[in-house]
Amino acid sequence: MGKIDVEGLCYSYPNVADQALTDINLKIEPGEFILLTGPSGCGKTTFCRCLNGLIPHFYNGEMKGDLKIDGISTREHPTYELAKHVGLIFQNPDNQIFSLTVEKDIAFGLENLGESREKMRGEIDWAMNQVGIVPLKERGTHELSGGQKQRLTIASILAMHPGIIVMDEPTAFLDPVGAEKIFEVLQTLNREHGITILLIEHRMDLAVKYCGRIIVFDKGRIVNDGTPREIFTSDETRLIGIGIPRMVELGRRLSQRGYNIGIPLNSDEAFTKLTPFLKKSVTTNTKQGLPELDEIVGEYTHTPIIELQDVTYSYSSGIDALLGVSLTINKGEFVAVMGENGAGKTTLVKHFNGLLRPKSGNVVVDGKDVSKNSVASMARKVGLVFQNPDDQFFAEDVEEELSFALRNFGYEETVINERVEWALNLLDLQRYKKSSPFILSGGERKRVALASILAWNPDILVLDEPTVGQDHGQKERLKHFLMQLRTQGKTVVIVTHDVEFVAESQPRVVLMSKGRVIADGTAKKIMTDARSLGACSVAPPEVTKLFSKLTLYSLPIDVLDVDEALDLLTRKLRRDNP
Amino acid sequence: MSLLESLRFSKGDSPIHRMDPRVKFLMTMVIFALSIMFFDLIPLLAVFILQIPLILYAKIWREWLKTLKGGAFLAVIIFTTNLLSFYFFRGMHLSGENVEFSLSLTLRFLSLITSFSLFFLTTSPDKLSLALEKAKIPYEFNFAFITAIRFVPVLADEAQTIMDAQRSRGLELDKGGFLSRIRKYIPILLPLIVNSIRRSLELAEAMESRAFGATKNRTNLYELKMAPSDYFALVITLGALAFALYVRLFLPPLPKLMSGLLFL
Repeated sequence: MGKIDVEGLCYSYPNVADQALTDINLKIEPGEFILLTGPSGCGKTTFCRCLNGLIPHFYNGEMKGDLKIDGISTREHPTYELAKHVGLIFQNPDNQIFSLTVEKDIAFGLENLGESREKMRGEIDWAMNQVGIVPLKERGTHELSGGQKQRLTIASILAMHPGIIVMDEPTAFLDPVGAEKIFEVLQTLNREHGITILLIEHRMDLAVKYCGRIIVFDKGRIVNDGTPREIFTSDETRLIGIGIPRMVELGRRLSQRGYNIGIPLNSDEAFTKLTPFLKKSVTTNTKQGLPELDEIVGEYTHTPIIELQDVTYSYSSGIDALLGVSLTINKGEFVAVMGENGAGKTTLVKHFNGLLRPKSGNVVVDGKDVSKNSVASMARKVGLVFQNPDDQFFAEDVEEELSFALRNFGYEETVINERVEWALNLLDLQRYKKSSPFILSGGERKRVALASILAWNPDILVLDEPTVGQDHGQKERLKHFLMQLRTQGKTVVIVTHDVEFVAESQPRVVLMSKGRVIADGTAKKIMTDARSLGACSVAPPEVTKLFSKLTLYSLPIDVLDVDEALDLLTRKLRRDNP
Repeated sequence: MSLLESLRFSKGDSPIHRMDPRVKFLMTMVIFALSIMFFDLIPLLAVFILQIPLILYAKIWREWLKTLKGGAFLAVIIFTTNLLSFYFFRGMHLSGENVEFSLSLTLRFLSLITSFSLFFLTTSPDKLSLALEKAKIPYEFNFAFITAIRFVPVLADEAQTIMDAQRSRGLELDKGGFLSRIRKYIPILLPLIVNSIRRSLELAEAMESRAFGATKNRTNLYELKMAPSDYFALVITLGALAFALYVRLFLPPLPKLMSGLLFL
């Protein structure tokens, strides 16, 4: 159980000229833990669909070559037969939960297979035990948190005892600790039950700790296949632009400077590889790193632009989302709001343009009380970019989509054209001007959504989860773009789970937990404060994890990104190894 | 909308919740039959009032009041249109019997929605699906029904998010004339429809991955077993039906309460 053989697999979707997969040859042995990666649109999701026969049975299209699961050809056997061998889990748990209670949902597959009631009872208990959701057995599926839902989808697949589990970005919507728990569950299944795991994941720093093999896709082909160390030391990987884990990057650059510590995959490994070269010292940690980011970019003006005073909010369902939040954001600041799923982050930012009005307390934006102004008038100041671009597209083409808000605000036609052109150029969308927003790729859609907000040039820009589902290259571009906005004096607020993104862009960080702000300060201060981070399910960045272990070596703790780490370590290594 | 909203099952535990869904369904149907069998105030009042202890027993009076509130507007319409039609078509006057009749029809409506909320508020869709399965309804229909219920809250959330996204882009739904207001719902409906289509595709993929349609002999985790209390309820329900039929068919017409009174 758990074996995959692929020979000469080619596939193209119906009515699409380009091949989605070209000449895939692959052997996967039982019990492997494999990461599938590559830039957006590289064919990795298509490959997953082939594994349980959704391709060709569900999608039709043209398939050549052979794919055998445990020796069974996917071409000749229907998906429901393959379901006993391969379990496919998708990104959005909401679209895979069919029943109203947890146990009934786990039973769904077994019922379809016609299993007896006694057998089902046993399998359900076993599956719930494996993923740690036993106490949720009789709960309604709609009351579960994001992480619980994703664990339920694993249990539901697990109950059917497949030898292979395939997951397409299972942690995209989860907070860092929730994501780590999913990985731990997968690791247990892999180690204790020998289940083969195939996983698509953009959180490279996290995924690399668990997988034993990485397969890199690009333009429908496999371009690289090997152990993480092999992959990250080959130059082809760099060219495709998949994310390199921070510790690997650190190791590589240190060896370029003559300190060969090998290729550590995580902070623990980096620590054991570094320590032989380092001398312990009891001197206090004097900061010798790079100057603070604020010193480079220039101080913000300290004119408050968003002010919240003791804001409370509860939804009509009775959930108290905000329990007295006070917060001041200054003009030109760059702020990241972080916290566990359900901490109230999105609820908070919806107060900035008056979509939600506080039950008690005050929200004043640019001198205006949001409770006394219409959303439309606040929106001119505050551009709110939602997480999922599909929640706003309706127009025939991108140009139309971009001019929607401008028309609502009553701009004149000549101004509208001007603004649209400006936004198209700003986000490199000129060539899609006349394309339908619906046919664009995920990354392009996100850019159109952003452009449709920037079109009216709001002073304050709020982005909800801008990095979700974005590959490494797209995240890099976004980071630079946000920097650019900052230098123009815009106030930028992001809501995010992406620890590494925050570590590298170093905004002010506001930590939220259970409807309250529990910590607020520079990225350096907050992202190295393990206790506060732990309280709201945020894990520190890898670099910080490494430096928190190195305190006995007279190195500072508050180090976030690879550049600074490299600088500090080279100096320290030079001193200790003359 | 709120009328439908209030019919949504919320988890609870009472003898009514635990009742066999088939018996409960029969009970609802009998109440339904009784409500349309009579045109007189006395029996309709009796049917309505007899349901109240059941509502209290199931501890769903709060939700039931919401249902009544949601139905209040329709009830008023039923009452006034009846009165007005009597008034205008019966020579511009209104007798006590006319008022009684209008009142009866309104009460019938309230009885019907009460019986439905009694059923839907206390029957989990999972159990309902099981009852449908026992009734040999093809599983595809059954599944579609359950999925629809399962996705009501998901779709409501999504509609809210879309509305928020468009309002953040300056869309003002409550401004302008009737036609332009309707046009303003396009930016909300379109993403909702497109997302639903996309979602249904994903759902289909997930169903396939869970071996949907693997065997004709699909099993069910839950089973239905009639408890002694269910037989008891069954007997009472059938007894009530028999009694009502007897009253309706073999007894002389019931007296009117307001006959002789002249209103206008």
